[in-house]
Amino acid sequence: MEIDLSRVTLRPFELMDAHDFLIWAGDDRVTGNLRWPVLTSEEEALAFIRDVCLPHPWRRSICIDDRSIGFISIFPETGDDRFKAHIGYGLSHEYWGKGITTRAVSIAVSQVFNDLPHVLRLQAFVRTQNKASQRLVEKIGFQREGLLRKYTYLKGTIYDVFVYSLLSSDLLPLPQSYSSQIVL
Amino acid sequence: MEIDSCTIIKSEKPQTSVSSSPPEKVHLRPMTISDVDDFMVWATDTDVTRYCTWEPYTSREAGIAFINDVVLPHPWLRAICLENDRPIGSISVTPVDKIRGEIGYVIGSKYWGKGIATEAVRLVAAEIFKEKPEMERLEALVDVDNVGSQKVLEKVGFKREGVMRKFMCLKGNVRDMVMFSLLPSDSSH
Repeated sequence: MEIDLSRVTLRPFELMDAHDFLIWAGDDRVTGNLRWPVLTSEEEALAFIRDVCLPHPWRRSICIDDRSIGFISIFPETGDDRFKAHIGYGLSHEYWGKGITTRAVSIAVSQVFNDLPHVLRLQAFVRTQNKASQRLVEKIGFQREGLLRKYTYLKGTIYDVFVYSLLSSDLLPLPQSYSSQIVL
Repeated sequence: MEIDSCTIIKSEKPQTSVSSSPPEKVHLRPMTISDVDDFMVWATDTDVTRYCTWEPYTSREAGIAFINDVVLPHPWLRAICLENDRPIGSISVTPVDKIRGEIGYVIGSKYWGKGIATEAVRLVAAEIFKEKPEMERLEALVDVDNVGSQKVLEKVGFKREGVMRKFMCLKGNVRDMVMFSLLPSDSSH
């Protein structure tokens, strides 16, 4: 089923999303490689939205026709490191493979440096086996900086990861002299 | 991290090893309050603190406070000593999480260029995985401009994994940093 990507929007989470939230956040295929708790009821989903998603510095619901089908988070570090932010995302399994997450991340990247002006570096740590996520961040324009060996410990397993970054300076507009070369 | 510059020795014989054996033997031991005056020698030196996140120390009281508040409770920090057992620097491994530790070291500038940092890092690399069997990765972050320290880690067998852009804030400036790692399975010793 093809999806018209203009139907993909981002917005903050609402308590009313609890039912839709549980559909994807309760699915291990979606949250298995995240540090999220297991969610098994609408009550737990509601509490998680209220206690974690709403206070989050930058977390958005990925929506189709305003219904939540996933999330994108941008999480700045604290103190002296608050110029660095980690990007994470997840999408309902039913909607995989249609370019929706790529579209959503692209929207997020276009907003986040304005919303969080102190953030200079977005970073993603992608497991070496996760080819789909590697293709996604590369398509957006993240730069692969290296392979970090045995870097991530998640749910009992240690993973090698590729580290990617996108800097606010990577998105600066071209200087005026190049504008005639832009192909529309 | 300090700059430990390599001295290239020109000779007619082919060199079998680039790393120099220090003229004096290096050993590591815990640091104590009585080391404060030796600590102040390197901690007040602006050459030494150039790539450190901290500013040079200006008072002995601050040095004593640092030893009490940071050094003594630290999970793994050692004085780097030469044969007279007086510290000329320090080296530490700080846990990042359950499986990762980060190595850092600092040496008085009078002792640079003698292979002392290389030897100190080599001693840590040889022992730390036995002392901390849960550690799967020992990593180091070095400023892109701190070439001397990059060479120390490469000589000991750390793997250079890449340059992380705008990764660390050093005295108000955001710097690119080179990431290095050593795993227990790497043969370095």
